[in-house]
Amino acid sequence: MIRTPLRPLARILDARQRGENPDAIERENIRIRHEQMRDRARARAEGRLLVLGLLFLCCYLTIGARMGLMAASEPEEPRTRTSGASILAQRSDITDREGRILATNMETYSLYAQPPHMIDPERAARELMKIFPDLNEKRLMRDFTGGKRKFIWIKKKISPEQRQAVHDIGSPGLLFGPREMRLYPNGKLASHVLGGASFGREGVHAAEVIGVAGVEKTFDDFLRDPANGGKPLQLSIDLTVQAAVERVLQGGMMLMNAKGAAAVLMDVHTGEVISLASLPDFDPNDRPRPPTQGHAADSPLFNRAVQGVYELGSTFKIFAVSQALQLGLVTPETMIDTKGPLTWGRFRIRDFHNYGSELTVTKVIEKSSNIGTARIAQMIGADRQQDFLKSLGFFEPVPLEMLEASGGQPLLPPKWSELSTMTISYGHGLSATPAHLAAAYATIANGGRKVTPTLLKRDTPQGGERVMSAEVAASARAMLRRVVTEGTASMGEVPGYAVAGKTGTADKPRENGRGYYKDRVIATFASMFPVNDPQYVLVVTLDEPVETSGPKPRRTAGWTAVPVAAEMITRIAPLLDLRPQIEPETLAGITLASE
Amino acid sequence: MSYLEYTVKHTPSGLRKVLYLNWGLVLVLAAVAGVGFLMLYSVAGGSYSPWAALQMKRFALGLGLMFAVAMVPIWFWRNMAGVAYGASVLLLVLVELYGDAAGGAQRWVDLGVMRLQPSELTKITLVMMLAAYYDWLPVTKTSRPLWVLVPVLLVLLPTYLTLRQPDLGTALLLVIGGAMVMFMAGVHWLYFAAVIGLGVGLVSTVFESRGTPWQLLKDYQFRRIDTFLDPSSDPLGAGYHITQSKIALGSGGWTGRGFMQGTQSRLNFLPEKHTDFIFTTLAEEFGFVGGFSLLLLYALIIVFCIVIALQNRDRFSALLVLGIAGAFFLYFAVNMSMVMGLAPVVGVPLPLVSFGGSAMLVLMVAFGLVQSAHIHRPR
Repeated sequence: MIRTPLRPLARILDARQRGENPDAIERENIRIRHEQMRDRARARAEGRLLVLGLLFLCCYLTIGARMGLMAASEPEEPRTRTSGASILAQRSDITDREGRILATNMETYSLYAQPPHMIDPERAARELMKIFPDLNEKRLMRDFTGGKRKFIWIKKKISPEQRQAVHDIGSPGLLFGPREMRLYPNGKLASHVLGGASFGREGVHAAEVIGVAGVEKTFDDFLRDPANGGKPLQLSIDLTVQAAVERVLQGGMMLMNAKGAAAVLMDVHTGEVISLASLPDFDPNDRPRPPTQGHAADSPLFNRAVQGVYELGSTFKIFAVSQALQLGLVTPETMIDTKGPLTWGRFRIRDFHNYGSELTVTKVIEKSSNIGTARIAQMIGADRQQDFLKSLGFFEPVPLEMLEASGGQPLLPPKWSELSTMTISYGHGLSATPAHLAAAYATIANGGRKVTPTLLKRDTPQGGERVMSAEVAASARAMLRRVVTEGTASMGEVPGYAVAGKTGTADKPRENGRGYYKDRVIATFASMFPVNDPQYVLVVTLDEPVETSGPKPRRTAGWTAVPVAAEMITRIAPLLDLRPQIEPETLAGITLASE
Repeated sequence: MSYLEYTVKHTPSGLRKVLYLNWGLVLVLAAVAGVGFLMLYSVAGGSYSPWAALQMKRFALGLGLMFAVAMVPIWFWRNMAGVAYGASVLLLVLVELYGDAAGGAQRWVDLGVMRLQPSELTKITLVMMLAAYYDWLPVTKTSRPLWVLVPVLLVLLPTYLTLRQPDLGTALLLVIGGAMVMFMAGVHWLYFAAVIGLGVGLVSTVFESRGTPWQLLKDYQFRRIDTFLDPSSDPLGAGYHITQSKIALGSGGWTGRGFMQGTQSRLNFLPEKHTDFIFTTLAEEFGFVGGFSLLLLYALIIVFCIVIALQNRDRFSALLVLGIAGAFFLYFAVNMSMVMGLAPVVGVPLPLVSFGGSAMLVLMVAFGLVQSAHIHRPR
């Protein structure tokens, strides 16, 4: 390689012209020095290259190693969606006392639209109409093509089939948002207890589910509390018993031509409500809107068992009698003057039949004598009667853990006169709910100790305050038993289960507040079984029943509510693990019948 | 030592230059591009359209450009370095002002005949400029602060313009590529140590400040950095690509599922399957063997370049070839790291394989420069 520096060359030419060569040595030196410099630079550059090369090599090795590592790794399954996991099990389940699901959650999708992203909004609207015929086509078209709306909710929850169909429309402006919805797999069963849930704050990626009625509302905070870790809310309701009760009640309501019905079944020791039914009912999966007109009581959302405040009629007589027994005013054999009619001012108290001039206390209950009970009430007096009824819980709403129960405030007379005392003793002038009645009867069945009803599974007996002595409670039960064996509730006899109870037929007050209807009644049968060791209290109430099989329509509870209750007990007693008991007198009855 | 200083009598002239091309390099480049065609064909579901055919045409055009550039003496390109650099910076400014937006970033400029991505062009012209600068600068002045400042500014100007687009990947590549040329030119290593130390210190200070009353960034900015550095924390957002490509690589295993048998890429799990994330298709269909082979091909290209640079005694040529090799290396190293979750996702294509016109043509021109340097090397 020959390198010829330019400027030294010029100087060399100069020097040659002058015939001398003075710079030759120096030039040579410079050349050598430059060569050395260049060599040094080059050596350094090569060192640098080595460093860089090593760096490259490291990168190669890292990438290669990573590649090998990943190739050796197990392929993870493609996860198409992971966002749903965060909203799963947002709300706790609700189960019955055996752990069977009453309410749970289901993943679903909401459908919304973003018209600016649509390619063919008109077609999208038309296709949507085919899938959801309930949409308003005009409005949909206007929203989609108007250009003003950027975001539109179309459906709050859609089924998988609908989702697929919307997918198939293929419009990029139709979008789905995952969310949870509340599912009641048993449909209408126990609908009044459960109430229902709806969406609260709604977003595209999730929606809050909040309880709107029943236990869903009362326990909303508990159900939504993540600290529970998905622990279900266990109710005292028994699903199978509830199903039987609702079925029999529905049949009974139709047979007796009633417009509504309610039933409360309660464990007398623990206070657990095993079944609570009110008809008509609804499907909590598709909860109807509250009525805006007409009577609230005519809506299927109206829970007669805890909201229906009725005069419960003769079922109250046992309270007056047991109080009189407790106060020592009478014994079961004391004779009571029942000459009718009993006149009090302008007011006359009559009996359904004329029972003669005198009846024993037992017979007063058995025959359901208004006059006899009123006379007993007169002995007790207004103050003591108030105290007693208060201790039985008739002054407060039933403390059941559901929103509706707090609306069942009993109606008390504005002035508790002596006349009020007399009418209230046979169940007029004080209105309460079937749940109140069940709780009060449970006190008698529980040997005189107060029982507070509850919807939560409890299992342990309540040691409530003593309202009456065990002896009084026992004799009250004996009288109630006679009502079934000898008296007004003779249709209530269920072989093997020794039912005791009291009928009550109350005329419905007119809506204008003046007097009572002659042909509209509330028929109630409050019962307990088996009477020798009471386990359960059952209250059945029919709203405006009329039994038409006889020559003239019959409305009394003995003909309407009692047979329904008897049928109910026949069905549910085996479900409640009660063993039929063979009583000697029942045997005697069979002998008698076969003669 | 400039181009006039060596005799050119041994330098080939005319068509004889074709014989002096580095044909090995041409073959390796063709092989890599071939892998690209195969993958684009597969990704399209066994079809030449829409990607493979167009990519072939572009490669053919690129090959022609490479030969054309190689035929021109390297000293011409050295003289053009300043013009090229100025032109690419001008284009970057034009993009800033009139560019087309695509994919959320403004990167393209319409030249009438084709849509060009000036930031791709800048990667090469910057290397050219720096090589020319150090060729012109006397060796003794290399490490003087003032003379270090000049190339730093030369690097930072296009970097700033690219960041404005915004294109973090390219900006990063420009900085690292420029630094590599400066390192090779012999700038004192203390400068690099100082910059790296300063950078590390700054980053750690910013992170140290997190959660303290004097924190330097807002909380959401920290969270963005978090997902940027660790995409798996957001598997459906920023981390979606990574998750899917990990699945693809894992299911590819050692030998792959077979040509056209990939599921992840073909079933549209990956939106960028034909561009930045094409490596996943290769890894899934040909497994570790296929992926590593591609890595070896790339390594071979780098080795070719280093050998070419070592053979070349011209300072400009050597620096240029090494600079191009470095840029090329950064390309695929960053892309592969990104695909394999080693690096955050920045938009860097896999060179010569990913579908994309600008990158392909620019790279072929760059290898044309390498060839020119090789042919016209002082002998």
